[in-house]
Amino acid sequence: MGVEIGKQNEDEKVAQQALKAGDWHLEGALDIYYSQPQIKTLTDARYLEELYNRYRDPNLDTINADGITNLCNDLQVDHEDIVMLVMSWHMKAATMCEYSKQEFIGGLQALGQVRVDSLEKLRERIPYLRSELKDEQKFRDIYIFAFGWAKEKGQKSLALDTAIGMWQLLFAEKQWPLIDHWCQFLQDRHNKAISRDTWAQLLEFVRTVDPQLSNYDAEGAWPYLIDEFVEYLYENGIFQRG
Amino acid sequence: MVLHKYGEKLYSGLVATMTAHLKEISKSIESAQGGSFLEELNRKWAEHNKALQMIRDILMYMDRTFVPSTHKTPVYELGLNLWRDNVIHCSNIQTRLLNTLLELIQKERTGEVINRGLMRNIIKMLMDLSASVYQEDFEKPFLEVSATFYRVESQEFIECCDCGDYLKKAERRLNEEIERVSHYLDLRSEFKITKVVEREMIANHMPRLVHMDNSGLVNMLLDDKYEDLGRMYNLFRRVDNGLSTIRDVMTSHIRETGKQLVTDPERVKDPVEFVQRLLDEKDKYDKIISLAFNNDKTFQNALNSSFEFFINLNPRSPEFISLFVDDKLRKGLKGVSEEDVEVVLDKVMMLFRYLQEKDVFEKYYKQHLAKRLLSGKTVSDDAERSLIVKLKTECGYQFTSKLEGMFTDMKTSQDTIQGFYASHGAELGDGPTLVVQVLTTGSWPTQPSVPCNLPAELSLLCEKFRSYYLGTHTGRRLSWQTNMGTADIKATFSKGQKHELNVSTFQMCVLMLFNNADKLSYREIEQATEIPALELKRCLQSLACVKGKNVLRKEPMSKDIGENDVFLFNDKFTSKFYKVKIGTVVAQKESEPEKQETRQRVEEDRKPQIEAAIVRIMKSRKVLDHNNIIAEVTKQLQSRFLPNPVEIKKRIESLIEREFLERDSADRKLYRYLA
Repeated sequence: MGVEIGKQNEDEKVAQQALKAGDWHLEGALDIYYSQPQIKTLTDARYLEELYNRYRDPNLDTINADGITNLCNDLQVDHEDIVMLVMSWHMKAATMCEYSKQEFIGGLQALGQVRVDSLEKLRERIPYLRSELKDEQKFRDIYIFAFGWAKEKGQKSLALDTAIGMWQLLFAEKQWPLIDHWCQFLQDRHNKAISRDTWAQLLEFVRTVDPQLSNYDAEGAWPYLIDEFVEYLYENGIFQRG
Repeated sequence: MVLHKYGEKLYSGLVATMTAHLKEISKSIESAQGGSFLEELNRKWAEHNKALQMIRDILMYMDRTFVPSTHKTPVYELGLNLWRDNVIHCSNIQTRLLNTLLELIQKERTGEVINRGLMRNIIKMLMDLSASVYQEDFEKPFLEVSATFYRVESQEFIECCDCGDYLKKAERRLNEEIERVSHYLDLRSEFKITKVVEREMIANHMPRLVHMDNSGLVNMLLDDKYEDLGRMYNLFRRVDNGLSTIRDVMTSHIRETGKQLVTDPERVKDPVEFVQRLLDEKDKYDKIISLAFNNDKTFQNALNSSFEFFINLNPRSPEFISLFVDDKLRKGLKGVSEEDVEVVLDKVMMLFRYLQEKDVFEKYYKQHLAKRLLSGKTVSDDAERSLIVKLKTECGYQFTSKLEGMFTDMKTSQDTIQGFYASHGAELGDGPTLVVQVLTTGSWPTQPSVPCNLPAELSLLCEKFRSYYLGTHTGRRLSWQTNMGTADIKATFSKGQKHELNVSTFQMCVLMLFNNADKLSYREIEQATEIPALELKRCLQSLACVKGKNVLRKEPMSKDIGENDVFLFNDKFTSKFYKVKIGTVVAQKESEPEKQETRQRVEEDRKPQIEAAIVRIMKSRKVLDHNNIIAEVTKQLQSRFLPNPVEIKKRIESLIEREFLERDSADRKLYRYLA
């Protein structure tokens, strides 16, 4: 951290010098600025912007689906890979398949101590991002984030298909043994969207109730959908009652 | 002597003399034979008493001076003690006395007459000697012997008597003992001896008595044996758990029979019978509790809770009770006095109170009331209003405001129609007479309005009415409810006989077509009237397929209405009566699909009520956990229905979704109100 602050002051100093040298004309100053070798480090912002421009939609000031697909290809990561969710979380992206300029640049800047200002650096960061899923608290934050991110703008609830897809992704990581039963149950019995509360409560369920359901409390204020799921498991003989 | 300081000598002399004398007496008593033993004892005791009194008088000075100062026993008391020690406790007398007394009591218990006066004197002697003499030398053994006696006797009785007889015998024995005490024992023994009898004859045999085959409690209840039941009540209340034993057996019996009553498929066929049986059952037990159980409140409560239990076992109870009321208000109460009407209505209210799903009753009651009002078939307006007042008192203004709205509409409509004819009377003179009831939507049970094509002369008339009404009530909308109307039409048949037919509006539309055609196919009728298929079939069925009401003939003559059938006017129709009723607007037990539909509507209506309750509770408590919300909501709504905890949970989730509530972040069972 001390180094950072030092650098900052350095940059200021250099900038001042350049301006002085350029007789306080900005354009001139900029040329001088960029030509000087010490200033290489200050070019993150510009590189980030370049990176952004590489993927943004030609007509709009955002990166949309195509751009993201390209980014994933360049990163050698499948665009349905869960690591993209983690990245979106860092970006605080409002919705999937879209990154605003602020989200993209802000997100990359937040990706850890080593500045990510190039594709290679980003690619190198990917294992770290994956590892964050193993952290209990971070996983929870990412999980909660995923609901708002995956749903349609302006909708209160998450479409069932999308929810199932997200759950499969997330709980493959977390290794919840009942994930397949859960998805099957939803497809058989529940044809409606998923509410925010149900989404959040499912994680609690996965974390606190053991996969044999031995400590499931019917009076436990679980959302009705989860009670129904437990009923479904008993009815289909997957577990015995009592 | 005392004065001369010879007190000691006098006293001890007294003791010695008396002792010696008493020993003599004792011998003489011992030697008394058989029956005269007690008499001898009694006589000697009387003499001794007299003597003691005299001695006391003579030695009064000593008694007052020497005795207290030397703490010696006063003379009289001394005399008693000496009697006790030398006579009563004399080894040859003590046991013999006790045995004699007990033998006499035993004799009396087996029916012999004994000398009660003698007994009284002897017992009194013991009491006078001291309480402990009475207790040790008589009472304790007496109680033990009595216990054994009654143990044996009760065992004998229970083997050979039925319950009623046994209880009679037990009661008799109890009364005997009480009488015995009053005649010759210490009054304080009454409590103790009755306890013995109660324990041996009643407490020890309670279960066996109550459950005795063919004569036990249940049989007594079934056969209305008021006297036996009363006796059982009075005897059992003396022992611990006596009354609760009776009450528990009665309760489970009532619950069992009640359950069978409401789930018996035979009974359920006739709703009015069903409800009558419930009322009869209630009357029966009210009478038993009043005549035999002393109007005991705990029994009344047990009866009420039992009724509440089994009435709600049948989900159709609310519907049936409404149908019962409907039957009474339509015809059952015809010609009945005002007080008797009140009695019936109060009984109905009593059953109503037992219902858990009062909102279901409300729905049916409204439907049935609407039919009664619209068909003009109510026996007494006063009776109708009286019931509404009772419902209002029980459930509050909200319950009945809509019902009252219905009555208001009826009255207003009368005025409206009068006004209509007053202003249009001249031009309408010869045409059909129109009676319109204008129903305020919202007060009446909702029915989808099914328009149909009215015959020309009628549609003209209806239009005139519509413009009249809207002329005085701008901004309103009228829609004809042709599925709820009735018509009286005159028909002439082949032999010239005329009949007045009372039919539904739909049926009227169909029949009027036959003024212009003798024969019409189903499709032609359907096209001309535009009555929807289901209704049309029902309507044609009652016109053509019901014996005694078949003003139409159908080809083919099958039972059901087929879409290729052809209908003809049946000019061979006959009936004993001038007026023939063919309408189908009477309230009946709902068919299965109708029942489902009503049930569905009731469930839908409950959802907002549950939500409102949740919001009210959370607004005032701010934070509350899941189980407590369920309990509070249930309590708030219990006067209308019993909410399903699962439904409450769903409503909570819906409120979370709509951001009225949120879950606490630390404790997932806690909910918070969001302002």
